[in-house]
This record gives sequence, structure tokens and C-alpha cells, in this order.
Amino acid sequence: MAFVPFDFKRTIPDHSWRGILIIVVLLTAGPTIAWELYARSARYRPTLNDTSDLWAQARERVKPDSIVIIGDSRALFDMDLAVLEQGLGSRPVQLALAGSCAYPVLADLAADEKFRGTVICGIVPRMFFAPGGPLVEASEKALKRYRSWTPAQRVSHQLGMLAEERFAFLKERDLTLARLLEKLPIPNRTALSPPRIPPPYFQTTERDRRTRMVEECVRPGALQTRIKEGWLPLFTPPPPPSYVPKEKFLAGVGKAIEARFGDTAAAVEKIRARGGKVVFVRFPMTGKLKELEDQATPRAGPWTRLLKDTGAPGIYFEDYPELAGFDCPEWSHLSGPDSVEFTRRLVPYLKTALAGKESVK
Amino acid sequence: MLFNSLTFVVFFIIVVSVYWTLKSWNARKNLLLVASYIFYGAWNPPFALLLFATSALDFYLGARIAAAVEPRRRKAWTTASVVVNLSMLGFFKYGNFLLENTQWLLAQVGIIYQPPHLNIFLPIGISFYTFHSLSYTLDVYRGVAQPTKSLRDFVLAVSFFPQLVAGPIVRAADFLPQCVAPPAPRAGRFIWGLLLMTFGLFQKTVLADTMLSGSADTIFNYPGPLNTLDAWMGVLAFSGQIFFDFAGYSTCAIGAALCLGFELRDNFRFPYAAIGFSDFWRRWHISLSTFLRDFLYIPLGGNRSGPARAAVNLIIVMFLGGLWHGAAWTFVVWGLIHGVLLVIERVCRAIFRDAAWTESLGVQVLIALVTYVAVCFTWVFFRAGDFATAARLVRAMVGFFPNGEAILTTREILQVAIVSAGLLLAHWLMRNTTIEAVVSRTPRWLVTALWAVMLFAIILNQGSGSAFIYFQF
Repeated sequence: MAFVPFDFKRTIPDHSWRGILIIVVLLTAGPTIAWELYARSARYRPTLNDTSDLWAQARERVKPDSIVIIGDSRALFDMDLAVLEQGLGSRPVQLALAGSCAYPVLADLAADEKFRGTVICGIVPRMFFAPGGPLVEASEKALKRYRSWTPAQRVSHQLGMLAEERFAFLKERDLTLARLLEKLPIPNRTALSPPRIPPPYFQTTERDRRTRMVEECVRPGALQTRIKEGWLPLFTPPPPPSYVPKEKFLAGVGKAIEARFGDTAAAVEKIRARGGKVVFVRFPMTGKLKELEDQATPRAGPWTRLLKDTGAPGIYFEDYPELAGFDCPEWSHLSGPDSVEFTRRLVPYLKTALAGKESVK
Repeated sequence: MLFNSLTFVVFFIIVVSVYWTLKSWNARKNLLLVASYIFYGAWNPPFALLLFATSALDFYLGARIAAAVEPRRRKAWTTASVVVNLSMLGFFKYGNFLLENTQWLLAQVGIIYQPPHLNIFLPIGISFYTFHSLSYTLDVYRGVAQPTKSLRDFVLAVSFFPQLVAGPIVRAADFLPQCVAPPAPRAGRFIWGLLLMTFGLFQKTVLADTMLSGSADTIFNYPGPLNTLDAWMGVLAFSGQIFFDFAGYSTCAIGAALCLGFELRDNFRFPYAAIGFSDFWRRWHISLSTFLRDFLYIPLGGNRSGPARAAVNLIIVMFLGGLWHGAAWTFVVWGLIHGVLLVIERVCRAIFRDAAWTESLGVQVLIALVTYVAVCFTWVFFRAGDFATAARLVRAMVGFFPNGEAILTTREILQVAIVSAGLLLAHWLMRNTTIEAVVSRTPRWLVTALWAVMLFAIILNQGSGSAFIYFQF
């Protein structure tokens, strides 16, 4: 080698580094253990975060003839996979995603030429027909991860699950530094619309994405109240943006919703053309949230139109006494035990719907 | 593989442990080579082949350049290296951009041309490793470096995982001499490397991602008119975010390399304390600006052919520097604005060359502030996805929309204000020193406490950070 000697040398600051490293490890371990203990004392339990990685892992399990659940958090909380497996003959893949519009996932399954299975699609009209924004982005983010999931991300996901199943403080929705900063009691500027805050942690998630409401939320108390209070602003449409005339904005939204009906019908038709099936389900809701949804999106509106345009069967919980009597502790989702019972009662209706019999409305 | 991922933590622990256990220097280098290709292939394995092909070709061409006796042949082999490397970069990075612009140009003269949309997947870090590799043949041609006889060493120089995908752009001439003899294990260097990695990750995950990125995204994605305060806060947030993101990556890279006994040069030197734009480019992405200086500005004639030609050269360099960042005209405009600012600065320096008052502290601070504000304006073009967004934001920043929307929360404004103020203060206080000098002067207990705080903040952040911005380049 004839290179000139490398003349650049990084300076190493003059300290006793071994001692510093040992103390740093101890100083970091102390607060981390304390933080874990605090998290456990504040009702948090080790459980998986429902990340795009977990969703992508589930999406990869979809086989050509799989039963797939899509939708929002109600389809996620209210369906028991083991009961469905017993009733329908194979274990469904859970692809419902909290705080999302299910249409992009439905379109993805429709575009998947290999897929000829069954789709159980949970419907909350305000979410399914969202023309864009965070609800659509949530589904698109998960799909993007599935489509471009790198080997490095897969390994990180496996390692992350090992950690999340052991440490309670690993709660990406509640206990990250960013979320903690959001909780600082700083009064907002008067010019600002109230922020739309997603609900805090109130579920456990397993590796197959079976999701259950935590006990603390089933019982009346601070957590339940906080979640209830959060739904109403979240389900109230935001004011039109100031930079577009209201009429123009509303016309644009109307057009987008119309297009969504058409696109959904086309997606359902694609799946059916390959021998697949789609059934829509409206899951239970109660209290003021039900009042709000019934008023904003009455059953005779989007739900009826959806079934008519797609020609797909639908199960609306209120149509069946066996499905209608459930109480949602925080108005929007069933408790863990109720979700098992609800699924047990739902299975016969699903079978009828998927068999194409008339008794399902 | 991201530095801020669990995969990397495990990968790095394994690599470092095995590396320092091995006695043979060749075995260690083989390990680093395999590790670097695993690091790169963990994104998209087939692109590791492209990386190898680029390296192997330049290894061969470097030997041909050195062996050629006639200057004409030397030049021909060098041209071949430049053409092949830039063609590769051009195809993957600028293929669709070129087709779209060709379509537009033809449409201006009435020719309707519908180009195919090339479904090209951009290999991550291609801009960086192309320059790593190209620097070798160019340095051999210039006589700055002699070719290595070891393909393994050269492939390792291009693919060395700490600097592979987002810099610093490490020249083969800086790396290859370090492949000659094994570094002796030194605990101080290793632990200092770990501290730098922690500091880099803290900058990326805590300061860039947690404290600033949300406000920057909110403002740059807002489609309506904004009020002046919000527009400025969004731009300040991005100005801090891009620094912490990129400097964080470079700091991690330098730290990781140190843990393996390799020394990489600084890529940032407190750029927001720059007094003038030429000073800014001596402090920001130093490895790129020196690359462009040595391999483009000087070959173009530099400032040897008079001020007018030097100005043209500067504009050309900054135009290409902008384009290097991405296939979009907004990046080109960003580069061109910097070019124009550099020319204006040269003119001002010529006019006020003998004015003693320009050296006073007040004037220096003022120039530094003007530089920072101007750099912030240029970031608008860098971050905005299109000119409409950039124009709307610039107009909001200069008070064009008195009734513009207020969309940032008070907390977000406070976060941006506090972090930006801290960033500017730190840069100003450290503009004439180095982090190593400052740490040497800092009491041991404070170094320990700050390191522990950074580490705990990273743990608290729970790995929720995103990819590094410069990966897309």
C-alpha cells in the first residue's frame, strides 16, 4: 500500500470513561425501573402495541381463501377469533384497525388477484365514508408498511413484541415522551379549535391482534368517563376549513362520498367475481354516542344505500334481539367477555349471510 | 437498518462483540464487510448487488487509471467511471424526473409525448455510496490517492455500514489507509464512541422527531393561508429538525465507527452560528460541500478565472448540489438560492473588504442572524413538496395573511421556541470549538448526568422515531 498516512485523528476527551459508563448504566437503569413500576401502578399492563408492523404481519397471513375481518375499532374489539374459528371453520385474520377507514383495506383485498376468501367488514358510516384525512391515512399507513416491509423492520417488530410483552411502560399511545408532553397542562391559544385527542390506552392486544377492553374500562370510573368524553368530539365533524368556501367544501365532501359508494361496490364486485364474499356488519354502540351516530348517519341513510349499491348482505345489530341487548361500557365497544358472547350469537347470522340466504337484512 | 431501531441495537452488539474478539485483522475486515452488506441488504437485499457492482467497477477503473501512462487514457478511464456512476444515479434517482420534464418541454413546442412511467425503486443511500465510490477514481486520477490492491478493502470502504446510507461522504482516500493496520483496542475511544452514538440518537429521536417534526409537518402540510407566527414556527421547527436529524445520523456514524476503531471526519460544525453563507457551507454537510468543491468547483475553474466566472461556477455547483438532494425543482431552487446568496456575499465582501466595523461583535451577530433567517427561507423550498406550498408559506412568513389560520397549539409553539433558542445559543457558544474540547472541560459528574438523561429520554421515546430524512437522498 502506498497511501500517505491518514493524518486525521479524532480527539478523545480526557475522562475516566470506564467509571462514567458504569455510573451511566446505573443512573439509566434506576429511572427506567421506577418508570416501569409507576406504569404498572397506574393500571398499565404489558401488552402489544397495535402497530403497522403487527398489522402487516397479520396481512401476510391472508391466504387466498381466508376469512378476513376489516373495519374500525369496533370490529377489532367486538369479534372473538376463537369463537369465529369454531363457528366458521377457520380462524379469521384480524385486519380491522382502530381509528381508521376500512375502504383502503377493502380495495387492497379486491386488488389482490389471489384473494377469493370472505371479508367481514365492520361499518361505522362516518369512518368508512371519510373522504380523506387521518382515518384514511391510518389504513394507508398500515398498507404501506405491509407493501414495503423490509427485513430490518420485521426483525425490529419481533424484538419489539418481546419487549412489549414484558414491559408495561412500552405504550406508544400513552407513555412515549411525545404523548407525555401533550399531557402538559398548557392552556391553548384562543384562536385554536379544540384538539381532537384519541382515547388513552384501554385495551390488550395479542399477536393475532385479538383485542380486548381492559377491566378498568369495563368498570365505571375515571378511565371509562375519560374515554366516553373523548368520543363525542371525535365523532363530531370538524368545522369546514376557513380557506375553502363552505358550500364548495361540502360539495367536495359529497362528491367524495358518492365516489366511495361506487368504489366500494366495484371492490365488492371484484372479490365476488373471484368467488369471494363480503358481508357488512354494524356493531353495537350505546349512550350518547349512539344518539350522535343515529342522528348524523341514520340507518336509512348510508347503511341502506351501501347494501343496495353493493348487493352484499349486512347485519345491523339492532335488527336482532340477540345482538341488540349488549351494553358498551364506554359507549363504543364491548367488554372482553361480552365480545365472546356477541360473536357466539353473531356466528349464525354470519353463516346465513355468507350462504346468501334471505333472512339476513 | 435504522440506527434508531432495535434491529440495529442487536446487530451492533453482535458485530462489535465478535469484531473485538477476533485476533486476525483480515478476519475483522471480512466481518465488517459481511456486516455492512447485511446492514444494507436488510432494506432490500437485491440492491446489495448494485452496491457491489458499483464498488467492483470503480475498483477496476481505479486500477486502470493508475496503470495508464498516457494522460488521454487516464482521462478516458476516469470519464468512464464518472459516466457509469452518474448514469446509475441518474437512472434510479432522476429517470422519471427527466421523462416528465422532457414531456413538458416537448409540449411547449407542440409535440405530444406520453412517456412511460418507470416503476423505479430508489435504492436507499444511492447518492451517498455513489459519491463514496466515485471519490476513489477521482482521487486516483488527481494523484491524491494510489489504488488499493485489495478489492475487499475497497468494497468495505464504500459500504462501511456506519456511513453507508446517509453519510458522511467518506472518501476512499480517508478510509483505505485505516485498513492497512488494525486499530488497537482502547476503552476510552470505544466508550466515547458509545456516547457519540447516544448523542446522535438523542438528537434524532428526541429533538428532531419528538420536539420538532410534528409542528413542521403540520405547517408544511396545511393547504391554507397561515398566520405569520405559525408559519415561522413551522419553518423554525423544520430548520431544527433537519439539523438534528442529519447531524444526529452523522454523529451516530462517527460514534459507531469509533467503536470499531475507525475515524471519520466531522460532517457538521455548528452551522447555525455561521457568519455568512460561505461560512454556513463550511459548517453544514461538510463532506458534501468539500466533495463538490474538490470535484466540481475547482475543476470548473474555481475562482481562478475572475469573479464573474467564479460566480457562474458557484451557481452551477449549487444547482447540482440542490439536484443531488432530490429529483424535484424545489431542491434545484433551494440550491440556486444558496448559490445566489453565496455570490451576493462575495460581492459584499469585495465592497466592505477594508471596513473594520464589519469585524465588530454586533455586526458579526447581525450577519449571523441574517444568515440564519435567510437559511430558514431556503429551507421552505427544501421541505415544501411544490412551489405553491413554498410560495404560500413564504408569503405567510412575511405577513401576507394577517387573518391567516392559527393551527399550532401553545405547547407546540413553546417546544419549537425553546428547542430553536437552545440550538442557536449552543451553536453560537460552540462555534469556535469542538464537542470534544467542551466535553474535556466539563466536570465528570455533569458528563455522566447528561449522558444518563439522554439515554433515559431515548428509552422514554420508545423507538417511535421515523426514518432519517437524508435516507431519501
